[in-house]
Amino acid sequence: MNGDAETDRPLARPPLLKPGQTYATATDQIAAIVLSRKTSKGWWLCFGLSSVLALGYLLGAPIIFSYGPGLFGINIPVAWGFPIVNTVWWIGIGHAGTLISAILLLLNQKWRNSINRFAEAMTIFAVIIAGTWPILHLGRPWFFYWLIPYPSTMGVWPQFRSALVWDFFAISTYMIVSIIFWYMGMVPDLGSLRDRARKRWQQVAYGLLALGWRGSVRHWQNYESAYLLLAGFAAPLVVSVHSVISLDFAISIEVGYHSTIFPPYFVAGALYSGFCMVLTILVPMRKVFGLEPYITLRHLDNAARLLLAAGLFVAHGYISEFFTEWYSGSTFERTLGWSRITGPYAFAWWITMFCNVLVVQLFWFKRVRRSPWTLWVLSLVINLGMWMERYVIVMTGPARSYTSGRWDVVWATLFDLATLIGSIGFFFMLMLLFVRFLPAISIFEVRELVREQKEEGAP
Amino acid sequence: MTERERSWGLLAGFGSVAELHAAIVALRAAGYRHMDAYTPLPVEGLAEALGQKRSWVPLITLCGALAGGIFGFWIQWWTAVVDFPINVGGRPFNSWPAFLLVTFEMAVLVGACTAFAAMLALNRLPRLHHPLFGVGEFDLASRNRFYLAIEASDPLFDPVRTRQLLQQQAPLSLREVPP
Amino acid sequence: MPPIKPADLQKIGRQLANRHGKEYWRSLEALAEQPAFGAYLEQEFPRLAEIWNGPVDRRGFLKISAAAMALAGLAGCERQPPEYIVPYVRMPERLVPGKPLFYATTLSATGTGVGALVETHEGRPLRLSGNPAHPASLGALDVFNQAAILDLYDPDRAQTPLFGGEPAAYSRFEAEWRSRYTQLTRQRGRGLHVLTPPLHSPSLAAQLQALLAALPEARWYGHTPLERGGALAGARQAFGQPLEVRYMLERAVCIVSLEADFLGDMPGSLRYARDYSGSRGVHGKRQDSRLYVIESQVSITGAKADHRQPVPPSQLDPVARALAARLGLPVSPPVEQPVPDYWLAALARDLLTRQGQSVVIAGEQQTAAVHLLAHAMNARLGNLGRTIEYYQPPLPSPAQDLAELLAAIAAGEVETLLILGGNPVYDAPADLDLATALPQVPFAVYYGPYANETAAVCRWLVPAAHPLESWGDALAFDGSASPAQPVVQPIYGGIEPLRFLAELRGQLGAQPRQLVRDYWQSRYGDADFDAWWNGSLHDGVFAGMRASAVAAELRPDWNKALPPLPQRQGMELRFAPDPSLWDGSVANNAWLQELPRPLTKLVWGNAVLINPLDAAAAGIAQNQLVQLAHGTWSQQVPAQLQPGQPRGTVTLHLGGGRSAAGRVGNGIGVAAYRLRPAAQPWFTTVQLQPLPAEQQVITTQHHHRMQGREQQLARTTTLQELTAEAARAAEPQPSSSLYPEHRYNGYAWGMLIDIDACIGCNACVIACQSENNVPSVGPEQVRRGREMHWLRIDQYYKGGLEAPKVVFQPVPCMHCEKAPCEYVCPMHATTHSSEGVNEMTYNRCIGTRDCSQNCPYKVRRFNFLSYTGKDALTPAVIGTHNPDVTVRSRGVMEKCSYCIQRINRARMAAQKENRRIRDGEFTTACAEACPTRAIVFGDINDPAAEVSQLKSSRLNYAMLAELNTWPRTTYLPGVRNPNPEIARHEGQ
Repeated sequence: MNGDAETDRPLARPPLLKPGQTYATATDQIAAIVLSRKTSKGWWLCFGLSSVLALGYLLGAPIIFSYGPGLFGINIPVAWGFPIVNTVWWIGIGHAGTLISAILLLLNQKWRNSINRFAEAMTIFAVIIAGTWPILHLGRPWFFYWLIPYPSTMGVWPQFRSALVWDFFAISTYMIVSIIFWYMGMVPDLGSLRDRARKRWQQVAYGLLALGWRGSVRHWQNYESAYLLLAGFAAPLVVSVHSVISLDFAISIEVGYHSTIFPPYFVAGALYSGFCMVLTILVPMRKVFGLEPYITLRHLDNAARLLLAAGLFVAHGYISEFFTEWYSGSTFERTLGWSRITGPYAFAWWITMFCNVLVVQLFWFKRVRRSPWTLWVLSLVINLGMWMERYVIVMTGPARSYTSGRWDVVWATLFDLATLIGSIGFFFMLMLLFVRFLPAISIFEVRELVREQKEEGAP
Repeated sequence: MTERERSWGLLAGFGSVAELHAAIVALRAAGYRHMDAYTPLPVEGLAEALGQKRSWVPLITLCGALAGGIFGFWIQWWTAVVDFPINVGGRPFNSWPAFLLVTFEMAVLVGACTAFAAMLALNRLPRLHHPLFGVGEFDLASRNRFYLAIEASDPLFDPVRTRQLLQQQAPLSLREVPP
Repeated sequence: MPPIKPADLQKIGRQLANRHGKEYWRSLEALAEQPAFGAYLEQEFPRLAEIWNGPVDRRGFLKISAAAMALAGLAGCERQPPEYIVPYVRMPERLVPGKPLFYATTLSATGTGVGALVETHEGRPLRLSGNPAHPASLGALDVFNQAAILDLYDPDRAQTPLFGGEPAAYSRFEAEWRSRYTQLTRQRGRGLHVLTPPLHSPSLAAQLQALLAALPEARWYGHTPLERGGALAGARQAFGQPLEVRYMLERAVCIVSLEADFLGDMPGSLRYARDYSGSRGVHGKRQDSRLYVIESQVSITGAKADHRQPVPPSQLDPVARALAARLGLPVSPPVEQPVPDYWLAALARDLLTRQGQSVVIAGEQQTAAVHLLAHAMNARLGNLGRTIEYYQPPLPSPAQDLAELLAAIAAGEVETLLILGGNPVYDAPADLDLATALPQVPFAVYYGPYANETAAVCRWLVPAAHPLESWGDALAFDGSASPAQPVVQPIYGGIEPLRFLAELRGQLGAQPRQLVRDYWQSRYGDADFDAWWNGSLHDGVFAGMRASAVAAELRPDWNKALPPLPQRQGMELRFAPDPSLWDGSVANNAWLQELPRPLTKLVWGNAVLINPLDAAAAGIAQNQLVQLAHGTWSQQVPAQLQPGQPRGTVTLHLGGGRSAAGRVGNGIGVAAYRLRPAAQPWFTTVQLQPLPAEQQVITTQHHHRMQGREQQLARTTTLQELTAEAARAAEPQPSSSLYPEHRYNGYAWGMLIDIDACIGCNACVIACQSENNVPSVGPEQVRRGREMHWLRIDQYYKGGLEAPKVVFQPVPCMHCEKAPCEYVCPMHATTHSSEGVNEMTYNRCIGTRDCSQNCPYKVRRFNFLSYTGKDALTPAVIGTHNPDVTVRSRGVMEKCSYCIQRINRARMAAQKENRRIRDGEFTTACAEACPTRAIVFGDINDPAAEVSQLKSSRLNYAMLAELNTWPRTTYLPGVRNPNPEIARHEGQ
């Protein structure tokens, strides 16, 4: 592809945008996607497909809500099943957005500018879906709000030593902050849309959302400092969220849960799955909406490099966890370790190893990193692998707990599978709506790129 | 004067940051203060050129974050030690290490919200209408044109002389902003 | 519109049966709207018809629909008859609302009388526990009699007489019988045949005798699926007269069991269990007592044995002869028998060194020869009168059996047949086909509690009242008599047995109470009878009414009676009473169906037990369907690989495969009776053929090894190690914390469980279930691993598959002082009380299940679905529910509460008298029911309390102590006392 201009000039940094972009072209092209471009057949096809899948979730959830978590494949001792696996998985996916927009912003990585917007959207949708699972898995979901410390007539408060309460605060904080971050990032662009809009409803809608943004220097000044601060908050937050999730397991004394490596290991896993999902969506999207000028191979390459790094860290996590099981000398831990490789859930463990440790090694090769569709396929594989990793973590411990007389296993039910697949469909449904109605690429930040390139390329 | 009532100020559009910057410097030199620039993207340096003070947002945010954190820890300590002390797994009532996470989350939550609110407040947003929107071409401010607006409220403002002054900066466009 | 026929009503009834809520009422109204319904009421229920013909207001309609339900035989829920639901005008004496009343009575679910206490709240019986004053109970109660309370409320019980399967008025039966009876008297009873199970009630026997006396030519047959002809025959051969045996195990320090499951299914097992554990000196105070078991199945007695020899059933006789010969008895030892010589030699030496304080017990199900040998050995060892007593069978027994009845039916002699209880059509041996024979009897009457398989082929069904609804009496295993008194009016209008028998003799309106009273007055005499009678009713025992021992002299020529040695041929099939379902008569009891059988851990169905080694040889896998064939009979049964099962032997438990048990018991398991020859009731040869199909066997424990966690989980040691002080294990001391600990002033409740004393009999499990409203969840949920028992018995195997050692470990909530479950609960739903009890607050629970995830003992139970709603197996409306215990809804976690309601009741009583709760003043349900007192509960702050004393033992240990959970429930290890000689041989 013509993005590979640098192959003959290997030392020069490849451009972040295709050459020849001006403020005007950038603004008009991106705005057009939302404003004037006719909804493509492909969009309708994807939308229809994902809506159908979403039914599994949108119908399954109410049924489970009314009949009870007994519809999931859980029992005593394995009292946590798919819902928790899905929570961890989705939260993980929800990490890439904030990482790209916040941490890379702080590190002043300009290449983030054209992908951060939709990555943030991805984050929000993923976190929202993740947040529904713990509620759905409750025995009496309609009382989940008891987790909020409000003065109730019962006079009882949440039990703040519980990791589940930390979860609740972490996830809801993360969700709110992400939404603010996302919306605030969009305000100037909503202004652009407002100014480009020609249809009445668009003018009204975007006009309201833009809050009367005028792009004055004072605006920009306050805006930028606030945006940086938000990034400053989001960066530690994103690290804290998955650490807290990992504490659900780590602070318990259950075999295979009680492990001090969990927080960093979970965060790495989160970034890993997050970037996978970014690729999973990025590759098709840049094709469908013709965004190659803004999302170049350089972006994909960088994402792939990050993926490789995260993958290696995760692999390290696996190894050290396994090592500790053996080194602890505890019969409980060793039995568990052995059962993970050979026991009833061995299949999941081996899939995890294949997808997360072996497959990612391909990313050492530039050819792989720079062929979009290979990346896409591999990203799907790694997504699967990361789900399986969480499955292994959640199920194997209790199934081989301390009291060997209570060992038992439990398998997925129809509801487990329907709701999981359905939630994936629901996620893509939301993503499609987003790219259709909101600027999927940060217009003003692309303008900044244009300016930079002008200055770089200026004779 | 009738002039002054009829107009909010003057709006000059430029094609590039450089031209805009030059214009600002010139008008500041001429003693104008009530003016602001409108750009499609944040441009460093303009604020200083316009003599704007640095943003209050960080300070306000800091206060917000601290308040959130303190409240976060207080609610946990108070409910666990004062209002509803009960033996949970033999742990001490004031299990402060366990309370730190929620404290952190609360700090971040309140801090982030304050940052956003402060940004809006200091920008006097939301304000859906503004005289500038009355100018037809102002929509280019969010595309590829860089504007400088001199407000009529400026003591030196004089429809004729100010206009000439701006003309000398050779703007792509120069418009009167109706009130 | 044509008038409703009972048939239609039945049909509607059946439709209604599987309806609930709105739907249910709608169809009921549809029924009530038919004008023909009024006509039907007219003829059946004149009084209701009046209401009907008047304008029907809502309440009137409800009354009618209630009646309709009754007629249709489906009174959905069990209430006392309406005329008793009236407010007190003056409060009945002694009945304080909220305070339970206890009545003493006698139950006999397993054939012999066991004294029980009935706990009633506001006149509603809701719990059964043992009667400490009764010799067969001493305060303990077996699972069958405890679960009997559930049958009392069972909506599937027969609710009205059935004539040819249709509801009919009892008056109609009386009319028919009266005419028939006059005719019978004319022909001196010729043509009248009576079939009964073995009698255990003196007054009932007297009534029957009177009937037979009035009709001298009537004939009396007996039948029981648990026939024990061998025992009486053996005694007759040994002593020239049929004698019953009672053992005094507390005096026996060397016990040899020839497949006598005296801790399990043998009559008097509760008492024997207590005496046995007493002889060993429970709770670490050891004596040199030893138990040898030779058995052809897996039993809890075998599991507790110091030495166990699994042999095929046919080989018990040869082994017994070999042992007898080694004891110097004039018996020719068999050329070959399965038990190694060193083992028998050591056993014989052990017996001979402890003459007079040993005992050889032959199992109820053994042949006459084995019993004869056992008697002879006991005589040789000088045990007669020391550890064994004999007494005359106190009650008459029928001379003829089922086969002869069938012959009579075939010969057409049987015009009138009275079947007084039992269920012969279901549990008769396979070669006696009653199902086809009975319909040939012109007038067959079945009197029993259920419209079961037998009732289906009889002309009449007369519903029997539940034991808790009836006056009566019963003999215990040792021949002592005790009274049975009703605690509630017949809920479903059953007829009390005494009344029924009297009315058969034409004595209409006889008063059962009067009949019992008169009978015992005739036995006791008139002198101060009233005082004695009232005292007996109060204590639940007839003082001084115990069959007296007779001197038994072994006949010199006893060994002539020995039959030629049986030859063993091929695979043998051993039948055994089901540890939870007995003979199948209780199959409709959800508690028992869901009670994990000891050793097999089976629930909701039986399976063919086969040793894993045999299974491997025959290519049979766990859960694989196996075709069991004997001659032309065959059954398909799923296989359960059972360590310790004798090689060359498969076991199939009785009690499965009911077709007319009720909504709970129908179609659960396989009917072993269909393979059972009348000649050999307890074992036979069988061909095994694995089928290419699977049927999952539902068990509650899937892993039986301790994975090198013996020290952390269930400890065992041997007496030798103890005496050598070798077993002193350095306990991991609870490490101290940086923070100040919570203090427990006042009471500090704690529990101690003695693994050595525990015989795994499940009494505690059922006791807990009935005390704490623990629901049964049904086979599907148990298969998913969601059983709800608060107290479970973990069971571990040590050693090879041939004859592994078994450890039983009851596991309730440990009530850890550093409870891991509590600090992970986000809701304060499980917290610690000031007395150290780990408490559940159901209202606060939102069901995150993190507590269970973090419980290393996995003792928490979760309501994954609504297990107590109206669709549940044991619905929340059921009368047995303890008003002092919350019924848990869907989505909340629950677990053992140390019977907090009992603690509070005791506290109230103590506070009224302004004193502390005394030790032993109350105890938990499990501890109360335990026949061996393996569970001790009390205040560990009171150094004098038994529990504190026991916890001070150096053997006392906490499960998984290294996790630093500081459990309040601790254990004493299991202690075996192996014979040194045998141990040397087995290289232990």
